[in-house]
Amino acid sequence: MPRRGHIPKRVAKPDPIYNSELVTKLINKIMLNGKKSLAERITYTALDMVREKTGNDPLEILEKAMNNIMPQVEVKPRRVGGATYQVPVEVRPERRTALGIRWLVNFARERGEHTMAERLAAEILDAANGQGASVKKREDTHRMAEANRAFAHYRW
Amino acid sequence: MAGHVAMATGRRKTSVARVRLVPGGGKVIINGRELTEYFGRPVLETLVKEPLEKTGTIGQYDVLVNVYGGGLSGQAGAIRLGIARALEIVDPEMRPTLKQAGMLTRDPRAKERKKYGLKKARKAPQFSKR
Repeated sequence: MPRRGHIPKRVAKPDPIYNSELVTKLINKIMLNGKKSLAERITYTALDMVREKTGNDPLEILEKAMNNIMPQVEVKPRRVGGATYQVPVEVRPERRTALGIRWLVNFARERGEHTMAERLAAEILDAANGQGASVKKREDTHRMAEANRAFAHYRW
Repeated sequence: MAGHVAMATGRRKTSVARVRLVPGGGKVIINGRELTEYFGRPVLETLVKEPLEKTGTIGQYDVLVNVYGGGLSGQAGAIRLGIARALEIVDPEMRPTLKQAGMLTRDPRAKERKKYGLKKARKAPQFSKR
């Protein structure tokens, strides 16, 4: 617990091109070794590719993709009397976006396309259409929660 | 230096920017190069133009900048502060707008010095009991 009162939540600055906090967070998650300008270049190129392929506003597509990736519930391990149960819990909105972006980026990294921008664009498009590894990750997470529904009353 | 309206200095991290506002069409010249050419990164361009945009004075002035020290990001921040301060000199009524957008505040964050006995500013060497 903080000793000196309430600590305000840090909010991300909206990115200057699309004016969106989501894009800022995506850029920061793409960034490796503090190379922000490279991360910006990858992200914006990917979004431009999305625009070219769909003819729609890439921000809309990205949001649609995120909605298909963000999990509603997940499982958390909890020990009760020596046994560990996987207890399903709801995901807070901030954690929801954080997980969504993390999965999107990590599964984009595992794809086979040539450049990171291509991988990211393809993963966004797949996710917007309800396909792709990141959407599958969400389904798996939901399935885990559903299977352990019996332990839901261990929530704390 | 005929016809110049305002001069101001802006700093950020180790960068220093001397900014001159001249009535004109909205060009931004940094160390003799165009804004786009100098940064080559759209995010920084928007950052520099922010004070002009917030006060609705974009296109009314040419901005001449001399900037040195630090990296591109720090230089962009320094120019931004310089432009904001210059705009305040031109028209003190802009102050509330600029102040509210936080553009008149010198960003005090700077690299923290390394301390002896530590690996970096705060990172301590690994502790081994024996």
